[in-house]
Amino acid sequence: MSRRRWLGLAVLLIVLLCVPLVVHSDYLLNVADIAGIYAIAVLGLGILLGFAGQLSLAQAAFFGIGAYASGYMTVHWGWPVLPSMAVATVFSGLIGLGLGWPCLRLSGHYLALATIGFGIITQLVLINWTSVTNGSDGMTGIPPPMIGPFALATYGQYYYLVLASLVLCAYVAWRIKSTRPGRALQAIRENELAASTTGIDPTRYKIVAFVLAGAYAGLAGALLAHSIKFLSPDSYSFDQSVIFLVMLIVGGSGSIGGAILGAVLLTFLPEALRPLKTSYIMVYGAAVIAMIIFMPRGLAGLLSAALGRDDAAAARPLTNPAQPVEAKSA
Amino acid sequence: MTFDPVANLQLLVSGLAIGSIYALVALGFVLIYNAVGVVNFAQGDFVMFPSYVAISFLLPSITIFGTIVHWQLPLLLVYAVVLVLMIGFGLLFTRIAYYPLRDRGWMPVVISTIGVSIFLRNAAQLVWGSQPQVMPSPFPVQTIALGPLQVRPQDLLIIGVTALLIAFQYFLFERTTLGKQMRATAQDRDAARLIGIRVGRIVTITFVYSVLLGTISGLLVAPIFTITKEMGALIALKAFAASIVGGFGSIPGAIIGGLAIGVIETFGGFYISTAYVDAIAFVILIVVLVVRPQGLFGERVGEKA
Repeated sequence: MSRRRWLGLAVLLIVLLCVPLVVHSDYLLNVADIAGIYAIAVLGLGILLGFAGQLSLAQAAFFGIGAYASGYMTVHWGWPVLPSMAVATVFSGLIGLGLGWPCLRLSGHYLALATIGFGIITQLVLINWTSVTNGSDGMTGIPPPMIGPFALATYGQYYYLVLASLVLCAYVAWRIKSTRPGRALQAIRENELAASTTGIDPTRYKIVAFVLAGAYAGLAGALLAHSIKFLSPDSYSFDQSVIFLVMLIVGGSGSIGGAILGAVLLTFLPEALRPLKTSYIMVYGAAVIAMIIFMPRGLAGLLSAALGRDDAAAARPLTNPAQPVEAKSA
Repeated sequence: MTFDPVANLQLLVSGLAIGSIYALVALGFVLIYNAVGVVNFAQGDFVMFPSYVAISFLLPSITIFGTIVHWQLPLLLVYAVVLVLMIGFGLLFTRIAYYPLRDRGWMPVVISTIGVSIFLRNAAQLVWGSQPQVMPSPFPVQTIALGPLQVRPQDLLIIGVTALLIAFQYFLFERTTLGKQMRATAQDRDAARLIGIRVGRIVTITFVYSVLLGTISGLLVAPIFTITKEMGALIALKAFAASIVGGFGSIPGAIIGGLAIGVIETFGGFYISTAYVDAIAFVILIVVLVVRPQGLFGERVGEKA
């Protein structure tokens, strides 16, 4: 990255660090926390879809697994929060491994469908495995994280934990993208066969992408659990997976900044639309259609065009050269 | 548990009925997929939305946009009106959600159908409120005796109409020029265009036909389900599973897969667990994907490399 870009990021980070000092509304800070948490889950999906070209609709399931795992360890085992968040992250990554393994021979729509199945089953388990999850009544009494003797009790304090996690996740994603594994994933996205002839093992890299997507969503879920301190299976439905996907597409699927921007924008958009009362989600649905038609390269593409820069990855229009619209020979 | 042949036959009838619904919705998926290479995520809402439209005309009184109306038209007239309205809807859907994105691969179209789905569900809630609705049954009695069996007449109607539709579709695809053009377009769009088939028009017809399949499933299933904005979602996901189990892209596969999932799920709900009944279809799906990814009738798996 150029020096100017680093400088831009540093300024952005300082501005973000100042947010809780300027904004005192608990409501806005809570929405900001949730936006950051969603951004982490969407980044994970970005590694899987944007880098590796694998469409998953189970991101909310991993989000839920991370949330419930961390919630359970702190409530029932009395673990401290930060270690249990880390364990929940690893645990979700391992479940990602378990899902990625059998699904690897699938691609495109088939993969999407298998992940939908996994998402539905996970939600049913969350509802019905009452001895662990407390079913539809939800899990309560989840403690806030402690740093030394200090509890991160307010939304403003929690904001810093979310921000730190998001920066770390974005950095890891950026490292992956700009080094050999990321280029391997992008080669797989563009053409799996061609990638494998250059010595890339598509299976191994796709598993890695699955594990990372699961771990990111797990961390996001754990962060959510200790922020809202209440878990209900409804929050981890198929619809939530769809929302993550839409955030990524709207942001720009190959771009890290785009993923974050999409998550933040689409978390605040429904809040801004609330004056429309009951029709706001309907408007949201229409907005999604309009954005996909009129902003083919996502927000990231729009921004780089506005800045007169052609960032090849961000500006990649959302099409699948590797998987053309192909008629079936039935 | 002792084996009771009568109870099992009754389970089989209701399993085949719900399976017929899955089969019709699965057919809608497969036809659109074959025509344009895209899974339509709004297919379930093509079941839900017309059910709401139908009860608006059917119920003695219903609240629409917070106002109480009393239309209560005759049943067959309502079915006709709903079908005509949904043809218009299908044209609009193709024009808005598919046409502008047709040259950009499958993912943008998938996202746009997701947008349509969000829109329709919340439009339904806005117009008809969040209270679940019940469509009056077209039959005066709950169950009828069929020898020793007590079956719901609605189940028999569902099975009968589905059989007729499948026969109609067979006739359409095998015997008419339009059907042959639809098949040719599904097989190879460019070649179809080269021999003078107006592919754009055939694609529109396919979309409208799929919307109508969803509409008919909705009108059939609504009297035995409650109508909610979410009713289509689960039906559609199971129909998805059914079409994969049968072999995605295969029309007989969609029908047999739908019936199989309906029957297995009904028996599973009775003998294994009612809490996990909605998971059965997806367990079958994942097992089939792992063991025989091409499905029962499929020829190949995965999109072309």
